[in-house]
Amino acid sequence: MHMELEDVFSSKPRMKILKLVARLGELNISDISRRIGLNFSTTSRHLQLLEAEGILQQRTYGRIRMYRFSQVSAKSKVVKELVEVWEASNKKELAGIGREKK
Amino acid sequence: MKSHPSVFRDESKLDINYIPSRLPHREKERRLLTEFFSFLLKIPDKMAQRVIVTGEIGTGKTALCQRFGSDITVEARRRGINLEYVHVNCREYRGKLFLILQHALTVLKPTFPRRGYAAEEVLKILLQNLDEENAYMILALDEFDSLIEAEGSDAVYNLTRLQEMRQNKPQRISLLGIMRNLDSTKRLDESTKSTLQRTVVRLERYGKTQLADILNERVALAFEPFTVPEDVVSLTADLAQDESGNARFGIELLWRAGKYSDAEDSDKVLPEHVRKAVSSIIPTLSKSELDDLNFHEQLFLLGAAEVFLETSEAYTTLSEIEKAYAVASEEFGEKPVSHTQLWKYLQTLSVLGILKTEVTGEGARGRSTLVYLPSVSAAELVKALRELLRKEER
Repeated sequence: MHMELEDVFSSKPRMKILKLVARLGELNISDISRRIGLNFSTTSRHLQLLEAEGILQQRTYGRIRMYRFSQVSAKSKVVKELVEVWEASNKKELAGIGREKK
Repeated sequence: MKSHPSVFRDESKLDINYIPSRLPHREKERRLLTEFFSFLLKIPDKMAQRVIVTGEIGTGKTALCQRFGSDITVEARRRGINLEYVHVNCREYRGKLFLILQHALTVLKPTFPRRGYAAEEVLKILLQNLDEENAYMILALDEFDSLIEAEGSDAVYNLTRLQEMRQNKPQRISLLGIMRNLDSTKRLDESTKSTLQRTVVRLERYGKTQLADILNERVALAFEPFTVPEDVVSLTADLAQDESGNARFGIELLWRAGKYSDAEDSDKVLPEHVRKAVSSIIPTLSKSELDDLNFHEQLFLLGAAEVFLETSEAYTTLSEIEKAYAVASEEFGEKPVSHTQLWKYLQTLSVLGILKTEVTGEGARGRSTLVYLPSVSAAELVKALRELLRKEER
């Protein structure tokens, strides 16, 4: 049973995870939890949820599990694009403010 | 604020890491390497190559391989082949295979966690990544000898026989070993040695004219026009030739000479700037200082320099030097002097600043003295001392 859109996106940690993975590509759970400042098990839960929704995909390398945006789901593609466009536009806006201040 | 214009146009072109687009007097070897790896552009999954490049210091091994790596990667991309050229200096990773492979892995996956994996595990992960991305890798192992020294035959054997563990899978990793000579491969078992040494590209030392060509190319890129006269290039080429045809040494001399020229607000780089540059690189230690030492002090210093040269360690002990000194004494037909006398030599050399000592804290066996070579190249010292001792022997 899939979650509603608003339920998936209403969580701050999940949005942080999506931004992080969009920026860095592929990360393991410990790295993600350290970077977003949450403990391992909470981070792992969020990641499982995002995976169940087909947004993220898990890959195993020996003992290491890494998460990245799913390469097959349409949902994943649009979510990644949304995050990237959003971040790029915020960055542009910030650069504009910097120039005005100068 | 500097008012006088600099002689440099772009000094980064003299940096050790700069890889020029043209490699004078190495075009033949460059074409040869491209030929050896041409299958990668045609049938990348069917073959993997193992090539060794040898040559003395400053013969352009690293520049050649990096130029080749960059060119073949561009060509592969143009043909839609996902090829990575990864250049690793094995010495930087203490010759440890798992660290070297981990570096290669992080080139593909920068966020991959760095942990103490076993080399086999990293290799497996690396291959898995290459398989998943349908990618190929040329792994260039610079200072390959330090990997052989640290890991021995098994590790090198596993690297050269990767495909045997992966029956019916595409060949993903080709190897390019870079080393001064093949001496250290003697330590490998016969089958590994024969696999490795099938394809060797040997770079001969540069002669004076070749060095001058290389330096002229760099001058054109790095200096303002007409700021480096021909005789300066010629002198630098002579000096580089004296340093066993070491082009890198010549390029560094040019850079330093340019710095001396700028510091004196000169419009040109002059031979005197080159001479100053030489003394700033080689010596802190003059020949006359060595001359002033007695025969056994020279032998003792030779022993010390040999130890530093052989072990590549920063510190050693008096007893290690004593052993090397005994060998040197035998070589020059001298009876070794006593331990107490050697201790006195150490004090003398320490006062002269040629060797330095450092006393460590209380250990299980009490305090011990470590010896180090502060600012002179051990190789230079060995060379200078051998010349001197031979002269005095006569």
